[in-house]
Amino acid sequence: MSAPVFVWLILIPLLAAPLVYLGGRLADRTSHWPVAQALALAALLVTWLPFARTVGEIGASGRMGITLGSVSLCFDGISLLLSAVALGLGSMVVLFSGPYLSGQIGQEKYYAMLTAMIGVMVGLGCACDLFNLWIWFEAMAITSYLLVAFYRDLPESLEAGVKYLVQSATGSVLVVLGISLVLAQTGTLNLAEIRAAIRALNQPSPLLLAAGGLFIIGFGVKAALVPLHTWLPDAHSQAPSGISAMLSGVVIEAGLIAMLRALSALADVTLMWGPLLMGFGAVNMLVGNLMAFRQTQIKRLLAYSSLTHVGYMLVGLGVAVYAGQLDGAQGGFFHLFNHGMMKGLAFLAAGALLYALHLAAGEHTPLTISDLAGASRKYPLIALTFALAVFALGGIPPLSGFMSKWQIIVSGFETRNLVVVGLVVFAALNSVFSLAYYAPLVNVLYRWQPSPVVSRGRTAPLSLQLPLIGLAILILVAGLWPALANPLTSPAGTALLAAFGR
Amino acid sequence: MAAWLVLLTIGIPWLGGLCVWWLGDQRAGLQHRVASAFAVLGAGVSLGLLRFTSPDVILRIPLGSAFGDFTFVADGLGVYLAIIATVVGGLAVIFSNDYMQGENQLGRYYALTLLFIGAMAGLVLSDSLLLTFLFWEITAFCSYALISFHNDDPKAVAGGIKALIITQIGGIGLLFGAIISYVYLGNYQIHLFLQGVDALPPVVLAWAAFGFLIAAAAKSAQVPFHTWLPDAMEAPTPISALIHAATMVNAGVYLLARFFPAFEAVPGWRLAVMLVGLVSALLAAVMAIFAGDLKRVLAYSTISQLGYMVYALGTGAVFASQFHLLSHSLFKALLFLCAGAVIHAVGTRDMFEMGALRKQMPFVYAVFVIGALALAGLPLSNGFFSKELILEYGLAHGPFWAYAGMLAGVGITGLYSLRMLWLVFYAPAHSAKQVHDAPAAMRLSLSLLALGTLTTWLLLGPFSAVLAESLPYHALHAESTLAGLGQVLSAWPTWLALAVVLVGMATWFLRDRLAGLAEPLQSVLAFIQDGFGFEWVNRQGVRLTNGVASGLQATQTGLLGWNVAYIVGGLILLLSLILWGS
Amino acid sequence: MNVSGLNFILVGVLGLLGVGLYGLMVTRNLIKVVVALQILVKAALLGLILAGNLSGAVNLSQSLAITVIVADTIVAVIGLSLAVQIRRHLGTLDVKALSHLRG
Repeated sequence: MSAPVFVWLILIPLLAAPLVYLGGRLADRTSHWPVAQALALAALLVTWLPFARTVGEIGASGRMGITLGSVSLCFDGISLLLSAVALGLGSMVVLFSGPYLSGQIGQEKYYAMLTAMIGVMVGLGCACDLFNLWIWFEAMAITSYLLVAFYRDLPESLEAGVKYLVQSATGSVLVVLGISLVLAQTGTLNLAEIRAAIRALNQPSPLLLAAGGLFIIGFGVKAALVPLHTWLPDAHSQAPSGISAMLSGVVIEAGLIAMLRALSALADVTLMWGPLLMGFGAVNMLVGNLMAFRQTQIKRLLAYSSLTHVGYMLVGLGVAVYAGQLDGAQGGFFHLFNHGMMKGLAFLAAGALLYALHLAAGEHTPLTISDLAGASRKYPLIALTFALAVFALGGIPPLSGFMSKWQIIVSGFETRNLVVVGLVVFAALNSVFSLAYYAPLVNVLYRWQPSPVVSRGRTAPLSLQLPLIGLAILILVAGLWPALANPLTSPAGTALLAAFGR
Repeated sequence: MAAWLVLLTIGIPWLGGLCVWWLGDQRAGLQHRVASAFAVLGAGVSLGLLRFTSPDVILRIPLGSAFGDFTFVADGLGVYLAIIATVVGGLAVIFSNDYMQGENQLGRYYALTLLFIGAMAGLVLSDSLLLTFLFWEITAFCSYALISFHNDDPKAVAGGIKALIITQIGGIGLLFGAIISYVYLGNYQIHLFLQGVDALPPVVLAWAAFGFLIAAAAKSAQVPFHTWLPDAMEAPTPISALIHAATMVNAGVYLLARFFPAFEAVPGWRLAVMLVGLVSALLAAVMAIFAGDLKRVLAYSTISQLGYMVYALGTGAVFASQFHLLSHSLFKALLFLCAGAVIHAVGTRDMFEMGALRKQMPFVYAVFVIGALALAGLPLSNGFFSKELILEYGLAHGPFWAYAGMLAGVGITGLYSLRMLWLVFYAPAHSAKQVHDAPAAMRLSLSLLALGTLTTWLLLGPFSAVLAESLPYHALHAESTLAGLGQVLSAWPTWLALAVVLVGMATWFLRDRLAGLAEPLQSVLAFIQDGFGFEWVNRQGVRLTNGVASGLQATQTGLLGWNVAYIVGGLILLLSLILWGS
Repeated sequence: MNVSGLNFILVGVLGLLGVGLYGLMVTRNLIKVVVALQILVKAALLGLILAGNLSGAVNLSQSLAITVIVADTIVAVIGLSLAVQIRRHLGTLDVKALSHLRG
């Protein structure tokens, strides 16, 4: 049996992970050659080849599948989007992490876990039954626990790791409970079969409603819905910056996609899922903005702002689920893609500054706003890319964040429903409000007087700055020509609408 | 051909910005010259557009899905505003050669200024509401970045962010209208909106109309969104001249003028527009009487003069409003650049520390007088003719109480114009410092602007002709210059207004006697100087946000037990909601 | 399975759920936190088996249950190793000591 090409997207990183670890361990500890990083990068670059073939082959039907016994994997538009973001951001992060982690013990574990996490996330996108979904989801969580608590000697890092582990595991348990409810009611875990079984039922089942609620909360812990988000600022700020970028840029989005997949099975149970998603979106936007407004540490500020952006995605996707608007689904997924790039760039740029100003000198103090003063004179490229990322996050045209937010707002107006229109206007207002904490960061960066920290700062190596340039260019291009992202966002949007039967 | 000119009008300044940034701050001298060259080139190209004005779409770039087509139209309204943007922009850049001599981070300065000039030209030449919104946002961004140019000054940064937030909030009004157009008419095109406006349900049209009014009021610093403009004076003065007097603040008036045919029938809209203009004109004029910072007086004066234009639109005088916009751009830019020359020489913005500069800065004094004449509305400046047109039309077509208010405003304008002139140039000297007159590049810009201020009223005929031909939905009539001017000079309201101006100016000379009256009114004075309560509203808003955010911060306790409790609480709430709702 | 047996297991699930969640919210010792988490997992497993029984998909529920056991064992191991590190660096297993990151 010939396997469809997308299976390689999962297999290559997963198989490479133990090799990366072994290679890293076996290489001479004191050698300057970063073996683990090189192996990880090679594995990811190789994975781009089947990705390109998958893009070519998916065109006609929009779906691909493989079944091994009772396990089936389906590859549709949503899977394509998630794999693209995971691979893209992952490659940049692996490149970035080389100099960032130089001299750190345990690098081979880092690269192995990172590679495995990327493979697992692609797998999550391909799940078409709840069993599979949970396994990939849990595997992603496990790889990320180790990555968050990477700095094992720092109390704050351990604290963040413990809280993240406990809360995430709680969420996973809730998901299992939800799965059992679905199993009790329908006797199957395959998404398509569940939908068929629900249609065969004549009256709405409270078990399935409860299951939906459990899915929202369970996956919502990982997707950073308010009030389940409390692990996020700690984990994102204490993890190594490359992992912060991955967490904010892909992992929480993967949680969101898992939630959507699970809910799509229950689409016929009630019409409440769309409004619920929109409601959570509204709360996320507001809470994210208000909390970020008060932060003085850069990475914590960026973490809270991820809450806001998940809010935008929820609004777009909620409108799509509620009213069947393709613009909403496309906009929500476009924002998912953009957020990965923008937040990834923001965290990587902040990480580059953190490295140059603190880590290179061996200090693990957090990067604060006042540390940034005058950094643009010494680190012009990093400052420029950080400013670009931050303004893109704030929705300033012609950067990509504006385009995806526009699409979401248009979708809200298209419903012609006063409440939904009010919600997207609220989203626009939140976007304006977010500038109140994004803009001052850039102002501080471009001061003439450097802070003492900046005066003492070391140089940032070139390989640290290369991924920044790549991501910045992507943000500019997607902003100037949003239609370029259509091959990714349009299939994802139609797949979502199809999954919810609209 | 016209399509190329449009692209070059936007593209040349943008390319210039990129070049200046690329040159690097080490080659400051070259940066000055390259920026000036690109700005002047852009101005030349935009002047070329005058030959091609027409209401037709001249360029179309399709984008697909929710983004529609990007289209450009080079009609009279767009072209003349693009010319103002590039010409005044060019003069401001030339002025900056001297004003910004020796400053740091010039690459950032010139790049942002040139980016702004291109974006402003694009804003008025665009026919797609999405594209207009895009350029609107870019100009707001440049404005913020240039206000906070001196990042080490907290007041500048605060002023920039305040401007950004307020204009962006207003921008949501524009977003409203743009998306309504897309959802109900299927496209973003302005000319199709004006054509097919009857297809919109009245309620929806009203939302769009008032949304645009909010956007215009925020951008043009009208009450109640005017509080950002005085604080924006922290920007380097050439930027105040360009962005906050002559171009960006015009965008709101431009928007209202362009959409006037679509919204004039919406009940209550014209009255609302008139009121916004009237209140802004009077409020700001009164605040200008009491301000001590030279640039703040000019900022209030800008708010007030824009109020005149908005009032004119409310009464239906589209041509008069645009004619005054043309005059105001020139004389206000002139006044700001003069202020810049004075501030650069004296080193302070406080008028009470200036004085007796008439002998030391004769050139600046001369052109300042010309600008002040135009501001007060005295002949033979362009301000005289355009303001009188507004007042006459307002008397003939608007309610009398509004006209009376605007007439009173004319007097107050005369008063604060004279006060400003007096304090800077005539009052007894406060320091024995020797100051120099304006250097060459400054003089060049100032002379050209003064020349414009004295002569653009002669363009009344051709200007009205261009507008009438290229704006098919606005029902404008072309008038020859002589006829128009004759009409102004022969109407009795003109002489009444002149008398009011002279009375206002005379009040200045009676100030010592009036000072006695001011004693018991100290608290009222404080209220006025604090912006008639609007600044208080702004401060309360910030306080409220900070308070709520702090309260929310307390929920992030850092304790694991609480975090899990939130999860459990969320679960219980959600399940109750789901089970209750089904 | 008779009805009262089903009810008994249902009560068991809910009881374990309650104990586990209560433990997570209230406990101050990190090891007890990991134990409470394990109790939660057992509740979920019990629920899974119950569901499989109710709907007849016994094999499916059993295989999922075994997978959950494996996954959560790994999670418990990681959690305990973090606890060891915390004890080493902070000298205590008190959850209250792990509240420096706030606000």
